[in-house]
Formats: sequence, structure tokens, C-alpha cells
Amino acid sequence: MRIKLPILAIFLEVVTIVLFGVFVRYDTQNNTLDFQDVHVMIFVGFGFLMTFLKKYGFSSVGINLLIAAFGLQWGTLLQGFWHMHQGEIKVNIKSMINADFSTAALLISFGAVLGKTSPVQMLIMALMEITIFACNEHVVVEILRATDIGASMTIHMFGAYFGLMVARFLYRPGLKIGHVNESSSYHSDLFAMVGTLFLWLFWPSFNSAIAETEGAQHRAIINTYFSLAACVLTVFAFSSLLDPRGKLDMVHIQNATLAGGVAVGSCADLNIAPFGAMLIGSCAGIISVVGFKYLTPFFASVLKIQDTCGVHNLHGLPGLLGGLAGIIAAAVQEAFSVLSPFLPRFFC
Amino acid sequence: MASEYPPSLQSCLSLLVLFLETAFILIFYFFVSYEVPSSLEYFHNYSYSAFQDVNVMVVFGFGFFLTFLKRYRLSSVGFTLLITALGVQWALIVEGFLFYFSSGKVNINLDSILRGTLSITAVHISAGALLGKVNPVQLTCMAMMEVTAFAVDRWIITDILKVESHVSMMHVHIFGAYFGLVVSGWFCPPLLKNKFEKEKSGRLSDLFSMIGTLFLWMFWPTFNSVLLSDDVEKRKAIYNTYYAIAVSAVTAFALSAASNRNGKFDMVHVRTATLAGGVALGFSAGTISHPCVAMTLGLLASTIAVLWSRCVQMHWNPALKIHDTCGVHYTFGLPGLLGGIAHVILAVYNNWDNLSMEGYSILIEVGALSFTVVMALGTGFFAGFLLTCKLWKAPPVSKYFDDQAYWEFPNLAVGF
Repeated sequence: MRIKLPILAIFLEVVTIVLFGVFVRYDTQNNTLDFQDVHVMIFVGFGFLMTFLKKYGFSSVGINLLIAAFGLQWGTLLQGFWHMHQGEIKVNIKSMINADFSTAALLISFGAVLGKTSPVQMLIMALMEITIFACNEHVVVEILRATDIGASMTIHMFGAYFGLMVARFLYRPGLKIGHVNESSSYHSDLFAMVGTLFLWLFWPSFNSAIAETEGAQHRAIINTYFSLAACVLTVFAFSSLLDPRGKLDMVHIQNATLAGGVAVGSCADLNIAPFGAMLIGSCAGIISVVGFKYLTPFFASVLKIQDTCGVHNLHGLPGLLGGLAGIIAAAVQEAFSVLSPFLPRFFC
Repeated sequence: MASEYPPSLQSCLSLLVLFLETAFILIFYFFVSYEVPSSLEYFHNYSYSAFQDVNVMVVFGFGFFLTFLKRYRLSSVGFTLLITALGVQWALIVEGFLFYFSSGKVNINLDSILRGTLSITAVHISAGALLGKVNPVQLTCMAMMEVTAFAVDRWIITDILKVESHVSMMHVHIFGAYFGLVVSGWFCPPLLKNKFEKEKSGRLSDLFSMIGTLFLWMFWPTFNSVLLSDDVEKRKAIYNTYYAIAVSAVTAFALSAASNRNGKFDMVHVRTATLAGGVALGFSAGTISHPCVAMTLGLLASTIAVLWSRCVQMHWNPALKIHDTCGVHYTFGLPGLLGGIAHVILAVYNNWDNLSMEGYSILIEVGALSFTVVMALGTGFFAGFLLTCKLWKAPPVSKYFDDQAYWEFPNLAVGF
């Protein structure tokens, strides 16, 4: 690593700087979007969320910083290539937010392979994943024009399933009974809560960051807030319900409480009414806890995928749910504009 | 005694929480809708970032502020999250029905969520007094009762006594502290008179608690200014709180060293008394026009907090049979009272010339303050009585201040 890591990192950075030099210019128009919140989520939120392993805390926060810092530069370029004007990429606050989003997908995949890769491998993965992410996002958002404001599908599902497949190839039969270091300690659990709380608090910003109109932004904030709040309640309930002695499990509290934000993502800006958001959040919490309890062991033993962070339960399944909810919400909204004169009052 | 198992919360906790969530969803379905954003200017003025600051304080700040017990840290953070998520939904419903129930519908916007979040502070403060002695089921019930009681208290103060909405919200510290103290009176078995081994803070747990304190400290200016609508008052509130809380931090260090035999700092004071200035400024932050007045208030608040925790608490608490784990009485209760009294004195001073005209409204302020204290004591007594009910499966005294009663530990976690 003494030779490989510095060479690779410096090479990538030089390439990025050259590409920035050739293509990237500042955009003159300014917009007032909340950029800091998303940035805090990426670096503090995701970074600390993954510190739950008792001997891997430095690497979690450190590699998180490394690949996110590289990923956002690479993401700016790749996303920019799809929107070039006269051979130039214009960057503004919105492209910074979008670049942060692309690193979110990367960090989710990082969660699936946490503890099993070296920083060199992670840099290579960042390079590839963000390239594919940018293409996929372009297809989904620009060509198919899907409604996906908080990116349940393009970020969370994409990141989770990408990570799971990578984890499949990193499978080692020797780890079938688990690794001695693959558990948490009292302090590492508490550090992971720092990440959880930051993610939980700023998720409304994440889902509303790129909303077009202020009305949509306002709705996205409120929907995400209620979805997350409802999710916390069902997570506590199910965590206690599924344990034979009725005790709570820190893994569920750290991860599943965020599923509500993932699931409501794709329809957050639609008029789904607060109770709709709460329903989505509650379902997401239940699915996520059940996934942690039963699906993760199944994946590890049968499908040979060792998902360290449980990203399938936090991002994959709730992302899927969010996709479905988005379809339903869009369909209802469509039907609603046709039928609105005939509907009872509380839908209006 | 040590082999005593705490009762399993499986059915109790999950049923209660699921029932509440279902009820919330149903109530929201029938009664709650978004406010149609009539003017987008409103959304602009009403900044989302201020809401975020308060949210960070309440969830992150209070969650980590309470992690100072060395074996009760997971519960402190976890239950803070639970109570916030639950309490805000309930607060929206209760306040919606009391304050904004127009045409059979409750309209919500960011502003109402913000008010809900602010009133949850009361529950967190009370939970601080009860820290480690009640289980999550009891906490959930207490949160429901306290949110209701505080909403009613605010409704009476603003609608009947016609006190400003901002001032009524700042009663939150006093209400939370005295409510919690009275409830703690019901959970004070004789064993607790001497300090438990588990009821101590360790080096690391103090550090974790400092994370919370720092976040509370940094964002307190937002807390005191967020509800003020006038731009000038808002700015004044930010300046005043900033200086007052800075002074109280310095004072806390000074007095902590002065009151220690070896001249060393005590982490308890650094953690708690630094915040006293912010609490004391709550009422009058927007009206004080000289920084020196605010700074004096900060100095006084911090002094009271340190002296009380140093000299009075150990005689006062056993005498009244209360047990205050986190010291909420001197962190929030007394500085809050000081702030309320200072608010009245400043009002008298400012209106000295036409006291006969303004005297009535000043008297009302005094009345509102004492009403909050009485309301907190009364409802707290009642709530405490209900919480001792066997139905809630309260933990045995030997399992107080212990995470193992509520959390699944992988391999009996290292470093515990």
C-alpha cells in the first residue's frame, strides 16, 4: 500500500484536475439552495454511521472521507458531461449537491463491503460506480423522466444492489461463522449513533434539496419529517417485538430508523398528505427491521453475500418500497386531477 | 438481588407504540392537511435553517447531553430519539386542536412542527431528572401526558392571560424541570440516598456528554430567537443570548475551580452551568437592549447553577425526597425562574413612568409564571402517580441506570 495508494490517489487527482481545467467553468447564475446539510450528511452522517465495528472505526470515517472527497469531484465531471454547453461544464450549488448525491450511492455500496476492502480497491470502486451511477441517473431522470426527488431509486437502490454484488465477489467461505472482529462494542455503537442522528436530522434537506419550486420543497420537507418520525416508532416497536426477551437492538435503531427517509424519497414532493408519508415511513421501518432480523442471515448463508452494514435493509428494500410508493402516488395524483370534483373533502 | 431480571417489555412496549402510531396516522388522515403555502415569501422569511438548528438541538444536543451516565448511554440517545419522534406528532395534534382548529381541520406547516419540537424540550428536561429510573414504556406515557399538559398550560397562558406566544413557549424549561422533579419524587426508593455505583460518570461518558452540551451551547441563540417575528427583536435576541451564554460558560469554569478544594474543574459544572445563561435569557432576549444586562443575567444564572449544585442540592433533594439524576433543577429550573423574574423586573423598569397603565400586563406575567410552576407541579404529581402503576413493568431498583435491561448486547459488548 505504501506504493500503490499514493500513486493511484495522486494519479486520479491529477487526471481530475486536468479534466476540470479543460471542461469546468463557474456558472454565473446563483441559486440559494441548502447545500451544507447534504454535505454534513455525506461526511459526518455516513462516516460515523459506519463506525459501529469495534476495530474498524478509523477506517470507516477515514476511507469514507477519502472516497467521498474523490467521488464528488469525479461525480461533478461525469454528471456534467451529460449537460455540456459548448464544450463546457457549468458548476453551481446545484451541481455540488448532485455531486454529493452521487457519492451517497458510493458510500452505500461501501457499507456493504465495509471492512473487507483496502483503500486502493475502494478508490477503483469509486471510479467505476460513479461512472455507472451518472449514466443510470441520466437515463432514469432525463430520458424516462421518472419522479424521484429524493432519489430512492437512483441513489439508494442503485447503491445497495451495486454494493451487494460487489460483496458477493468478496465472499470468503472462511467467514461463514462470522469474523471475530465483526461485532460492535459499547462505544462504537454510541459513535454510530452520532452518524444516525445527523442523517435522521438532515434527511428532510436531502429529499428536498433539488426540488424545483418552493411549494414542492416545503412539501418534501414536511413529508420526509413525518415519514422519519413514524418510522422511529415502528422500529422501536418491532425491534422489541421480534426479540425473545423484548430487548431493543442497537443495530435496528442505528439503521432502520432512517428507512423512512429512503422510502419517502421518490414521492416526497408530491401531494401525498402527511398521513400518506407516515404510512410509508411505518411500512419502511417494519420492512427494515424484519430484513435485519431474517434477511441478512439468509443472504449470508444462502446467497453468500455478507452485507456488513445491512445496506440491503436500510437502502435496498426501502428504496424498492419508495419506488412502488412513487408509482402509486403518481398514479393517484394523475387520477385525482381527473376525479377531484368527486372526491371526499379530506383528499383535497 | 443482582440476579433479578427486569421484566420483559416485549408485548408492552411494542403494543403501546404501535397503537399510538396507528392512532396518529388515523387522526392525521381525518384532520390534518398541509397548509396551502399562500405566500412563498412566508417560507423564505421563515427560514428552514433555523428550524434545523432547533431540531439538531433537541434530538442531537439533548440526546448526547444525557449520555453522562457510564452505563446508560445507549438508552439516553435512543430514547431521546423515540420520545422526539412520538412527541412531535402528538404535540402537533394537541396544539392543532387547541390553537389552530379552524373549520374542522388542522393545517400544519414548518412553523407548527417547530413549535412541536420546542415543546418536546420539556419532556427531555423531565426525562433528564428521571434518567435511568424509568423504562421506555413509562417514558412514552410521560411524554404523552407532559406534552398534553404543557400544551394546555400554553393555551391558558396565551389565550386567556394573553401573554405573547414567544414568552409562553419559553416557560418550557421551568415546566419541564418542575414536572420532572415532582415525578422523580415517586421514583426515589431509600436505596438511592447514597450514590449508586452505576450512577456515576466516567471519563468517556463525560466526553460524550460534552458533545451534546456543545451543540446545545452553539445553537442556543437560535432557540431563543426562533419564535420572534420582529426582525429587530430577533437580531437582538441572537446577540443577547450569544453574550449571555458566553459569560455563563466563563463563569462556570471560574466558579467550578473556585469551589473545588484542589482548584480543579468539575465536569458536572462545565456540562450544565455553561447552559444556564441561555435558559435565563429565554424570556427577555428580544427586549434587552444593552448587552451588559444580558451578560449580568448570564453571570447570575451560572452562579446560581454552580452554587446550587455545590452547596444546596445535597441537603435539599433528600429533604424533599426527590432524586434528580441530571441536575435539571439547577440547569433549567432555577435559571428559568431567574429569567422569568428578570423579565418582570425589566418590564417594571422600562415602564416606570406609566406603571399604572402597564402594571396590569406586568402582573399578568407574574401570574403566568406562577401558573406554569403550579401546573407543572400539579400535573407532574398526577403523572408520577400514574407512572408507578404496575402495568408499565417498571424496572427493579437494582436495574436502575443500566442499559442491559433494555438493549441486546452482542457478546456482552467490550468496554462496557
